[in-house]
Amino acid sequence: MSKHAAINRFGRSANPAFTKNFTSSFDSIPISERMTLDGAVNKTGILLGLCFAGAFVGWNIPVLAIPSAIIGFILALVTIFRSPSKAGSTAPLYALVQGIFLGGITLMFESQFDGIAIQAIGLTFGILASLLVCYKSGLILPTENFRLMLGAAIGGIMILYLINFVMSFFGSTLSFLTSNSPMSIGISFGIVAIASFSLVLDFDFIEEGAEKGMPKYMEWYGAFSLMVTLIWLYLEIIRLLAKMRSR
Amino acid sequence: MNSIVFGLLAVLSLYAFFKLAKVKASSKQLNRSNRINRFGDQKSDNIIEGESEEIIEDDEDK
Repeated sequence: MSKHAAINRFGRSANPAFTKNFTSSFDSIPISERMTLDGAVNKTGILLGLCFAGAFVGWNIPVLAIPSAIIGFILALVTIFRSPSKAGSTAPLYALVQGIFLGGITLMFESQFDGIAIQAIGLTFGILASLLVCYKSGLILPTENFRLMLGAAIGGIMILYLINFVMSFFGSTLSFLTSNSPMSIGISFGIVAIASFSLVLDFDFIEEGAEKGMPKYMEWYGAFSLMVTLIWLYLEIIRLLAKMRSR
Repeated sequence: MNSIVFGLLAVLSLYAFFKLAKVKASSKQLNRSNRINRFGDQKSDNIIEGESEEIIEDDEDK
């Protein structure tokens, strides 16, 4: 008889230790070391607090805004591509330096358009809460196609930003991105919508991670990804408001 | 007035976020076949339950 008598008799086991991809399984992690919804939300709160603290610094010392933006960008790349497991140390730093950047940028907009900062903050958190309600209630159901479409749209926007950034070195910009024309405002609305829908993917990431018992560091990673999207959304909203008010 | 309205919106939205985010999503959201599967099938409730039976090597070789 076959040496695999147990398999013949009982069928293939569901025990992850006996499956091919057992290295990707997290069933062996103790329950106290697993990701939870509470943990991810609390860490999001910590990151938001750090971001506000950084914004206070940036508002008072706006010269730090540009160096902070560069450091924040590097920290984001390191967290995403090099060490998601170290998100516990990189994400708080990221939130702090991005806060400094946002503080400086917000001061710049506020000096031109009085009251724009509180409008952008209110709208950003308003969108965050309303999309969370939509996600939790099942009104918006993120699927693989939803993720692919959003990924393609974000990729397109990033390419446009990159082209605009390179053109700025030659004293020119893409007018439909930077001007206050109706087309530019329409494009800004579209970008705000795409950034908003990205929040749904972040909620789903955290929900799925907690459901499947991913390691604890994924709480930081989930909170970090939510922060990245929130910061992007805030910047797009303040740009959109500035375009509308400058007409 | 403008600042009060948007300030209130920000505070209430943050409060709603921290309250609601800790609540598990509805079954309509969680129990569907077309969910995004980022981490592979890690569900621990797919273990086959049943009685085991010892296999004696001598019996197997006969």
